[in-house]
Amino acid sequence: MPGRSLLRYVARTAIAGWLTVSSLFLISRAYTDSAAFLRSSLENSSRPLPAARRARLTQQLLQRYGLDVPLFYITPDSATTWRPSWRWNGVRNQYHRWLTRAVQGDLGTSYRDGSPVTELLARSLLYTLPLTVLAAVCSIGLTWGIVVWMNVRPSWRSMGLLSLHGLQAAPLFLTATTLLLLLANPDVLAWFPAFGLGLEDLEASWWQQPGRLLYFLVLPTLSLVLVTLPGLAVQLDGALQQELHRPYIATARAKGSSVSRVVWHHGLRNALLPTLALLTELLPNLVAGSTVVELLFALPGMGRLLAESAATQDYPVLIGAIGLVALVRLLAQVVADILYWVVDPRIRVQV
Amino acid sequence: MKQLLSGLILLVWAGLSSCSTPPANTSPSTVRIRWARDPDNLDPLIVSNLSAYETINLLHCSLLQGNDSTLSYVPWLAESLPTTRVVNDSLLHITYRIRPEATWDNGSPILARDVAFTLKVMNCPGLPIELAQAQFGFIRDIILDPQDSRRFTLLCTQQEVGSSGDYSILPEYALDPRGTLRPISLEHLRTQKPPSVVAEFARRYEALELARHPERLPGCGPYRLVKWQSGRALTLERKPNWWADKLPAPPPPLQAFPARLSFQIIPDAATATLALRRGELDLYSLMPAGEFTRLQHSPTDSARLRFYTTDSYQFLTASFNVRHPALHDRLTRQALTHLFNIPALIQASQQGAAYPSVGLISPRLRQYYNDSLPLPDFSPATALKLLQQAGWQRQTNGSWQRRDATGRLTPLAVQVAYRAGEPSFETAALQFRGAAAALGVAVELQPTESSLLNRQQEAGNIDMLISNLSGNPFLYNFTSLLHSSSVGVSNFTGFATPESDRLIEEIALTRNSSRKAVLLRKFQRLLATERPFSVLYFLKYRVAAARALGPIPVTGIKPGYEAARIRPLPLH
Repeated sequence: MPGRSLLRYVARTAIAGWLTVSSLFLISRAYTDSAAFLRSSLENSSRPLPAARRARLTQQLLQRYGLDVPLFYITPDSATTWRPSWRWNGVRNQYHRWLTRAVQGDLGTSYRDGSPVTELLARSLLYTLPLTVLAAVCSIGLTWGIVVWMNVRPSWRSMGLLSLHGLQAAPLFLTATTLLLLLANPDVLAWFPAFGLGLEDLEASWWQQPGRLLYFLVLPTLSLVLVTLPGLAVQLDGALQQELHRPYIATARAKGSSVSRVVWHHGLRNALLPTLALLTELLPNLVAGSTVVELLFALPGMGRLLAESAATQDYPVLIGAIGLVALVRLLAQVVADILYWVVDPRIRVQV
Repeated sequence: MKQLLSGLILLVWAGLSSCSTPPANTSPSTVRIRWARDPDNLDPLIVSNLSAYETINLLHCSLLQGNDSTLSYVPWLAESLPTTRVVNDSLLHITYRIRPEATWDNGSPILARDVAFTLKVMNCPGLPIELAQAQFGFIRDIILDPQDSRRFTLLCTQQEVGSSGDYSILPEYALDPRGTLRPISLEHLRTQKPPSVVAEFARRYEALELARHPERLPGCGPYRLVKWQSGRALTLERKPNWWADKLPAPPPPLQAFPARLSFQIIPDAATATLALRRGELDLYSLMPAGEFTRLQHSPTDSARLRFYTTDSYQFLTASFNVRHPALHDRLTRQALTHLFNIPALIQASQQGAAYPSVGLISPRLRQYYNDSLPLPDFSPATALKLLQQAGWQRQTNGSWQRRDATGRLTPLAVQVAYRAGEPSFETAALQFRGAAAALGVAVELQPTESSLLNRQQEAGNIDMLISNLSGNPFLYNFTSLLHSSSVGVSNFTGFATPESDRLIEEIALTRNSSRKAVLLRKFQRLLATERPFSVLYFLKYRVAAARALGPIPVTGIKPGYEAARIRPLPLH
C-alpha cells in the first residue's frame, strides 16, 4: 500500500503543478493586453509610423509571436452579447500550442531577445543560485549558532531578541542600500565593490576565482542574510523555549546534563519541527532570487529577470520564471513532508 | 579533511586579498561606460532599445548619420550627401555613391550591391523584418549604376531624404556568399511570392541567431564585439586596421579613438554613482539631477570628474484630451496651462538644468523656433479670467460648472495620469494639483503602470497626461503625434483640425528650409493657441566623466555622448 500512496501523492503534486502553471498562463494572457509589449517597442523606435502602417505592423508582429489565435479551446463569443454563448476553437489556440511545447521542455522564446526561455532561466540561475545558496547556508548556520548561544547564555537572550526584531523591521531595500552606502562608499568605507561580479578586463587566475566571487558577493549575501536570519532565529528560539520548559528537559538536567548539552542534544531536535516549514520556504526563494538585491548590486539573476520581463510585458519569460518558482514551491512542500517524517517518524502525511 | 579545508581557506584568502583594492581604471585605452539596461537584441534589423542602438552604430555603418552639431544628416559610408530628382509627387530618386576607401573586414570593397542586398534582407519574407519594413518600406526599389559599382539610385515614395540612408549596411559576402538574392529584384521580393532560394536564405540568416551572436556578422564599423555577458557587460574592441584609418583627415562620423569600450550594465542610479566615484566607471550619462549636482559640489569628485550638460530634444508635456467635455475648448486648455509654474518645476525636478519653450520645437533650433511667441507663465489670475471666458461659473462651494450644448451641467474636474515611479512627472502633477486646488479646480492624480497607461490612452480614457516626448533635429514629421489619421493610434490628444492637418502634411513634404521655417513657426503658433498639449520644459542631458578621458563629445541626442570619439588622455 505505501507504493500506491506514494503514487497518489506524486500524482496529486503533479496535477497541482499543472493546474498552477496553466492558471498562470491563462490568467496572465486573458487579463493583459497581448499587444502591450509591441506598443512599448514601437514607442522606442526613433521613426514614428503612420497609423495605418502601425496597425498593420502590430498585426504582423502578433502573428509572428502566435498571439493572433484564440487563447483557449473555448472562448466567449463576443458576436452574440445578448445571451452567453461559447465558441469552440479546436487545437488552434495559444494554450494548446504552449502546453504541447512545454511538455517537450520548450517554454517558448522571449519577446525581447528571441532566446529560448529555458536558456534565459538557466543563465539567470547561474547568477542567482550562488548568491541565494550562500545566503541560505549562512542564514541557517547563523540561526543555529545564535539560538544556541542565546539559550545557553540566557542573560544575553533579551538583548539578542531585541536586535533580531529590530533587524526584522528593516525592509530589504533599506538594509541593502545601507550596506552599500556604508561599505562600498569612498566617503565611509570602500571595502567592497559597488556592483557586479568584477570587470572582465581584470583577469584573475583560477586560484583567485573563488575568493574573487566571494568578495563580490559579500554585500548582496549579507543583505539577504540580515533579512532572512531574524525570522528563522526568532521562530527557532520560540520553539526551543517551549521545549526547554518541558518535563523531559528537567529530567535531563536533574540527571546532571549541562545546559549546552541539553540544548544541543535534547531541545534543538524537537524545536526544529515547527521551523522546518520555514526552512523549506527558503527553497523557492533560492530560485526566485531577490529583485531588490539583484537590481541594486547589478547582478543579472532571476529576480531581475522577473522584474524586467514584467516591466516589458515579456510574458513567455514571465510565465516560465513564475512557473519554475511555483513548481519549486510545490517541491518544497514535498520536502517539508519528508523532513517532518524523518525528524518525527510518528507523523504520517495524509494522502 | 583538515588539509582540504585549509587549502580552501587559503584559496579564498588569496582571491580576497587580490581583490581588496577597488579596481580603478588604469588603462587609458579602455573606456568604461554605464548602461541602465542590456541591449537585449543585437540583430541590426531589430533595434529595440538605446543600448542596442549605440552598439549597432559602433559595429556597423549607415550611408548617412544624423549629426547634432550640424543639425542635419552628414555622409557616413556615403561619399557625400545624395543628389535628388523629383519624378512626381509620389516618387523621388535619391542617388548615392559609397566612399571608395570603404571596405569590409576581409578587404573587399563595400559596393552598391551590398546596399541592394541590405534592402532585400529588410524585405525578405520569413525574417523578423516587420519593423524595418514598416520604417523603410518607402524605398520601393534600387537601381545599380552599370558604370560605377559604388553608385546607385533609390526610388522612394517619401520626400524625407535623410531616412533613405539611415540603416546599417550588411555584408553580402558574409551572409550570402553565393549571391543567391542577386537575381531577385527588390520589387519582386515585396510584391510576389518569392522563390525557394529566399526561404533558404531566411533559414540561413535565422540559424546565425544574430540577436544573441552579433559577432557572427562582421560589420564595417570601427569596433568588433569581444564579449557580451547578458545583463552584466558588453565589451567592444577597436579593429586594428579599420578602413577609415586610411583617410588623411577622417570626418567626425569616421573617427574612433578608444581601443576598448566596456559597457557596464548597472540598473540602479545610486549604485552607478558609487561606481563612478570609486573609479569603477569612467562615464555616466543621463545622470539624475540630484546626484549630478551633489557630485559637482563635492571637491573630491570634481577633482577627478568633469561635468557636462547638453540641451536635448526630449521634453516634458502636459497633454489634454480634447474629447473630454471639460477640455474640448481651447480657452479652458489655455487656462489650465497657466497653472504650471515652469521655472519652479525646473528647479524642483531638474535642479535648474532644463529650459522652457513655447512649443515642441527646441529653442536650440533657432531657424525653426518661433521666438515671437510668449513663454507660458504661471498666472492663476489669467487662468481665472480664461475660465470665465470659457463659460465656467464658480459655484458657492468654490468649484466650477458650465452648461454644455444640451443644457447639461458639466463640472470642471480632471484626472491627471502619468507613469508611476517617475519623479519628474509626479512633481509636475502635484504642483498642478496644488495650483488648481487654490482656484477650485478639482484634480485627481492617477499614477499608472506604463502598459495600462498605454491602453487607457488608446481608448481615450485619459483627461490629462504628463509624459516625456522626444524629437530630433533631422525629422519634422508630426503625423503620428497630431494628424487626424493618427487619432486613437498615436495621436492621443484627439486634436486635429483641417488647418493643422494641412500644415503637418506640408511640413513633412517641404525640403526647402526657409519655407519649412515659415510653416513650422505657423504650426507652433497654432499649437500655442489651441493647446492640445503644453510643453513644460526641454530636458538637458547630464554627463559625468573621469578627467582622464579628456573632453567628452556630448550631444543632445541619446545617449548624450559619442563613445567612439572619446579621446582618453595619455597616462603621465
